[in-house]
Order: sequence, then structure tokens, then C-alpha cells
Amino acid sequence: MAAGSETKHNFLEMTEIRKSFGDMTVLHDVSLSVSQGEVICIIGPSGCGKSTFLRTANWLTPADGGEVRLAGELVGGVPDARSVSTQTKELNALRARVGMVFQNFNVWPHLSVLENVVCPQMVVAKRRRGEAEKQALAALAEVGLDDKKSEWPDNLSGGQKQRLAIARVLAMDPVLVLMDEPTSALDPELVSGVLNVLKRLAQKGMTMIIVTHELGFASSVADRVVFMEEGRIVEEGAPDVILQTPKTERLKLFLEKLNITAFKPNSDSAGHPTMDSGS
Amino acid sequence: MSIDLSIITNYGPQLLLGFWMTIKIVVGAIILGMPFGLVLALGRRSRLAIIRFFATSFIEVFRNTPFIIQVFMLFYVLPFYGLHLPAEYVGVVALAAFGSAYFAEVIRGGIDAVAKGQLESARATGMSDWQAMRYIILPQTLPIILPAMTNQTLSLVKESAILSTITVGELTMAAITVQGETFRPFEAFIMVALLYWALNETLAIIMRRVERKVSRRTSSSSRAKVVRAAPAATEG
Repeated sequence: MAAGSETKHNFLEMTEIRKSFGDMTVLHDVSLSVSQGEVICIIGPSGCGKSTFLRTANWLTPADGGEVRLAGELVGGVPDARSVSTQTKELNALRARVGMVFQNFNVWPHLSVLENVVCPQMVVAKRRRGEAEKQALAALAEVGLDDKKSEWPDNLSGGQKQRLAIARVLAMDPVLVLMDEPTSALDPELVSGVLNVLKRLAQKGMTMIIVTHELGFASSVADRVVFMEEGRIVEEGAPDVILQTPKTERLKLFLEKLNITAFKPNSDSAGHPTMDSGS
Repeated sequence: MSIDLSIITNYGPQLLLGFWMTIKIVVGAIILGMPFGLVLALGRRSRLAIIRFFATSFIEVFRNTPFIIQVFMLFYVLPFYGLHLPAEYVGVVALAAFGSAYFAEVIRGGIDAVAKGQLESARATGMSDWQAMRYIILPQTLPIILPAMTNQTLSLVKESAILSTITVGELTMAAITVQGETFRPFEAFIMVALLYWALNETLAIIMRRVERKVSRRTSSSSRAKVVRAAPAATEG
């Protein structure tokens, strides 16, 4: 899913990211570099540090060591020579171009669907209302929510909330989108609607890092699958290689465990049983 | 004990003057105290330890000492340091300081009650801490804190009676004067009690209206109820 001649290597460069919570080290010098237009799926058992790793990419969880660069610009690093106010200012400017989608949607319940998408554009990107609304409507149409623009988020289903969160990100014209288990909090029948939106984004060449348990989705959409365990990247590579011919015993065990419950590795759809039912 | 109605007609204007002073002082204390309470609440969350320390100390001192002592400190002690303020000003400042400590704790509780993910998602779009507070967190805090803020406002009205001890010509002071001149404590104090009650009841009614309006505007659950109730109403 590379963006043709514009492909730039090392678009996002995460170097030796280290993170501890108290005595527990959750990330052991993890490095990852992402090209422009690349879609990366991070998989791994619960508590392996994949979400924490993703959250260091926009420094929402500041790392204890290592650094993150986006198109050469420093997102965050330890040590960081910049003053605290410069760090904050530059980080906020970077975050405006890096979207993030959360497991629990985190849509803003006090704002209508349209205003959820308009608000960050006006506050952060300093767009005028007219332009922000135009962008918002386009983004809502992209995720299939244009008919819900006057609704309150609490009246939306989980799948619609997550698609709203994605629209909020898209309206900011992100160069990179981070997704932290975007379908894990959804009822099974609502998962496919969200995954379809993500697939379309991938086809359009959006650079994305997606932490997910949806192996079928990963195999059909990802350019690269990263398997993490115990705070380290154990294996990474093309999805068919990683998911069909795992080299390490740990990945084999992980895939077997998931296989028993849901995953059909040879399914030629995205692998999700309700992929086409919509939501 | 028979009620001497002539006291009401003769001294009514004097009491109403005191009542007016009480209203002015409480309104002044709210206008100063609520924004300052917000400043204190945000100060407690500051990244700078020194600001956290001052905000926390202020809140703890004013919450954990008697209001009458705070009033005496301001009224009797400040002049020793060359600061002579009229009693009414001291009254407004003391009431505002006392109130702000309680307002701050209510606001802090409200901010904490908004889910942590709300702040994270705001920060992730590139909002500064202040922008996230202003546009995402505080608007969600408002409906949560309104009932408690109303309670604190009603107590401020009642606490303002303490200011009679430093010669502020407010409602309780007026009542004491009237009973001193007439030796009719019942008439004097029952009227004053009724006036406090009327003021607080009015405030409570206004705040309930505001609460309804705010929760209708900000929370869809009440809105959803209205929508759901509509078809049932047409059937019945």
C-alpha cells in the first residue's frame, strides 16, 4: 500500500523506546520504522506492551528512554534538549497531524456529531467555521455518518461512535493515524463496519499503525505485521509470512490460541465472519 | 406571645435595607469566589509544584478553619499591617475566599468525574492543556457540579450572617438592631429568617432551571428521554 514515488523511508522512526511503570518494564528498547503509506498491524497477547508502544508514538505516554521522530522532526525523546515550553508547543503541532483512535472511542458527549469533528479543526488547526464544517461533512461522509451529523454521540451505536472518532481524525488531514484496538470494545456485529472504513483508508494510502486482535483484518490490510511479547518485538514481516509461517515458538503458540477461537488463516475475505453485514 | 405587626411596618424598611446589603455581599462573593475557585481547582492540577502548593494550602486553610475566625483575621488583623478596609469590603472578600475553597473542591471533583479518556483524546488532537480544559473537560464538568455548586451558594447566603459580627449592615445586623430598639426578638428574627429563606428558595429555583437547561443541552440521555416519551404521550 505504498504511496508510489512519494514513498519516504523512515517516515516515522521510533528508536529504542523504553518504558517502565514502577518496577515493571513494559517496553525493552523497542524500535520500529514506518514508511509513508505503510500500514502496520501490531499483534500480541494482552499486556505485551503493544498499546503502550503505540501511545509513545505521539508521546501521549512519554517514554523513559529512546526517541520518536516523524519526518525527521522530534516528537519526543529522552534526553530532550528543548525547553519544556518548546517541547509542548512542538508536540502539540505534531499531534495536530497525527490522528489517534482509541479502544473506548472517546468521542465528546457534550458536542453533537458534527461539532465533534469541527471542534479540533477550529481550536487546533485554526480553521474558520465554514471550512471546518465542510471538512467535517466530507469526513463524516467518508465513514458513513453524514446523516447523523445533528445527533448526540450517546445516541450512536459503538460502531458509529468509533467511526465518528475516525472522522474526527480524518478531518484534521493526518499524515499518520494511530489506532489502539479500534474494534475491541465493539459488539461483534459492529466490527465489520469499522474495519471496512479502515480498509478504505489503507487503500487510499494512509499511513497507519493499528494495534489489533483482528488477524484476518491484519492479513488482508497490513503491509507489515509486528508481533510483540513481553515488551519486545519478537517477529515482524509481511502478513502472510508472519501469520502462515511463524518462525518463533511464541508466535506459533499465540496464533494457535487465536486459531482455536476465531481465526481462519486461509479465509480469503478479511477473515471476519460478519464482514459484509454492515453496522 | 402575640405578634406586634406594627414592628413589621415600622422597621420593615430597615430590614429590607439589610436584606439588600446581604444580597449585594453574596453576589459580590459569588462573582469573585466562583472564578477564583476555578483558578484554585486548576492550580491543584498544575504541573508546577509551587502553584499546586499554594492552591492546596489556600483551600485547606479556608476549609478547615471557622469562617468567623477568618473574618476576624481579615477585619482586626489587617489594620495592624496598615490595611484599613470598610467592613463591607472585608465581608465580600472573606466570604469570597471562604466560598472559593469550597467551590474549588466541587470543581475539582467534577473535573475528576469526567472520564480520563476525554482529556487524552483532546490532547491527542493537539490541544494544549488549557484548550482541552476549556473546550472538552469543563463543559462536561458543568452539569456534574451544578447541584453541589447550588448547595455551596446557599450556604454562603447563610454564612453571610456571620458578617454582622464585624458591623456589616446586612440582614442579621439589621435584625439585631431592630430587636435592640423594640425588645421584640420574635418579630425581628422571624422576619429575618423568612427573608433568608425567601432568598435561598429563589436561588434554588433559579439554579434548578439552569440545571435542567444545561443537562438538556449537554447530555443526550435526558434528550433521548424526551424523544422516547413523545410517542407515548400521543397515545395517551
